[in-house]
Amino acid sequence: MAWNRPLIIGLLVVLLALSWWRLQPDDENIHRSQLLMGTVVEIMAAGMPAGKLEAAVDAAFDEIARLDKLLSRYHQDSEVSRLSQSDHSSQVTAETAEVLALGLDVALRSGGAFDLTLGRLKTLWAIDGEAPSIPHHDAIAAALIGTGPTALTLDGQQVTKRTQQLQIDLGGIAKGYAVDRAIAVLKQHGITSAAINAGGDMYLLGQRPQRPWRIGIQHPRHKEAVLETVQVSDQAVVTSGDYERFFEQDGIRYHHIFDPQSGQPARVCQSVTIIADSVALGDALATAVFVLGPEAGLLLLSQYPRAEGLIVAANGTLHSSAGWGRYRTAP
Amino acid sequence: MKTPWQIMTGGDWLVVLLLLAVSLAGVGWVATAPEGTRVVVTSGEQVLFTAPIDQPHSVSLDGPLGPTRLVIDDQGARITDSPCPRKTCISMGPARHTGNLLACIPNRILVRIDSPADPEAPYDLLSR
Repeated sequence: MAWNRPLIIGLLVVLLALSWWRLQPDDENIHRSQLLMGTVVEIMAAGMPAGKLEAAVDAAFDEIARLDKLLSRYHQDSEVSRLSQSDHSSQVTAETAEVLALGLDVALRSGGAFDLTLGRLKTLWAIDGEAPSIPHHDAIAAALIGTGPTALTLDGQQVTKRTQQLQIDLGGIAKGYAVDRAIAVLKQHGITSAAINAGGDMYLLGQRPQRPWRIGIQHPRHKEAVLETVQVSDQAVVTSGDYERFFEQDGIRYHHIFDPQSGQPARVCQSVTIIADSVALGDALATAVFVLGPEAGLLLLSQYPRAEGLIVAANGTLHSSAGWGRYRTAP
Repeated sequence: MKTPWQIMTGGDWLVVLLLLAVSLAGVGWVATAPEGTRVVVTSGEQVLFTAPIDQPHSVSLDGPLGPTRLVIDDQGARITDSPCPRKTCISMGPARHTGNLLACIPNRILVRIDSPADPEAPYDLLSR
């Protein structure tokens, strides 16, 4: 045999091995999006055969759509809409009661900075509408009559409104709750690695292969910049900011997070990011801290030992809770 | 004693030529524009959607005329369905290199392929 033949055969073997390695499929993973609850909901899932992943993600999307119909004030026949239309007292489903119970607890602990009863105020501002405008201060004052953390009481699944005209709005918590329920559906299907992101309300289940999930936190004033990156696993990350939905008039930004005391967009923060055990809690805390501002916001967070927060104040300064640093990745 | 060139058969030469061709093709592949890592879809100044380009994905994006369907697969990102009258965006085919654009002007959908500013500090999702 000629001396060069082993060399050529060796090269061919190496070439074939490289080709085989490049053609190997990646680990099964899927990434799908749907427009639900007024935002883009993304679900990433991995670690199972594609067919099982598809079935699990379909079921998770179905769960979010079902809860949207139950909890959104934009659906005329939702339970929340019926509650707003009711005269005084209503029986609600266990799911709606669960959301209300958590929301009312955060409302009380935050001294009313988080408020489930701002339906009339949000309708008045119509920030989500096509032509939002600044309401007259008399109209704002009228929309705030009878609202507050004690305007709604819950006894089991029985909800009582203090006034007949009280309008319920679960916008600051329902999306988070829906993500929590969708994660539960993924778990029921055996999924151990997944992420759901509903317009900034996200839950990171398990890990990426061999490492935790890495989440970038958007800079509130520079859209292309990342403020920080955190590493989390089996936790929620929720960001609320004044740059999400807003309009500007005479150089002033009017955004969608309202101070229940004034009926005006809250002015003490640019953004708040919360890491918590559930997205619903993170959602409610992000809104409450945004309204309270850095000092009072951090005091509120100290009542929740398993929740941490990063606050960008109105002047751009950064404030974080004591345990935030353990999630921060090295710069 | 025969030199290596004298003992090589026609088949040996064929294999050497094949290996040379594969090597040259590899050099050409490496020399093309860098592949992007992220698909960003905007409408006006609003970012509608972002996703890694290396993960298969299908998404329906609403524009003024209706839904535009974007598919990300092993060829890159491409528009597969659109309510616009001329379907130019569909005929543009896939985009996968940094800076590539797909545009559906009637439906105000712009698809951009880019890469993060710092590839050494990537993140899986952006919280905003």
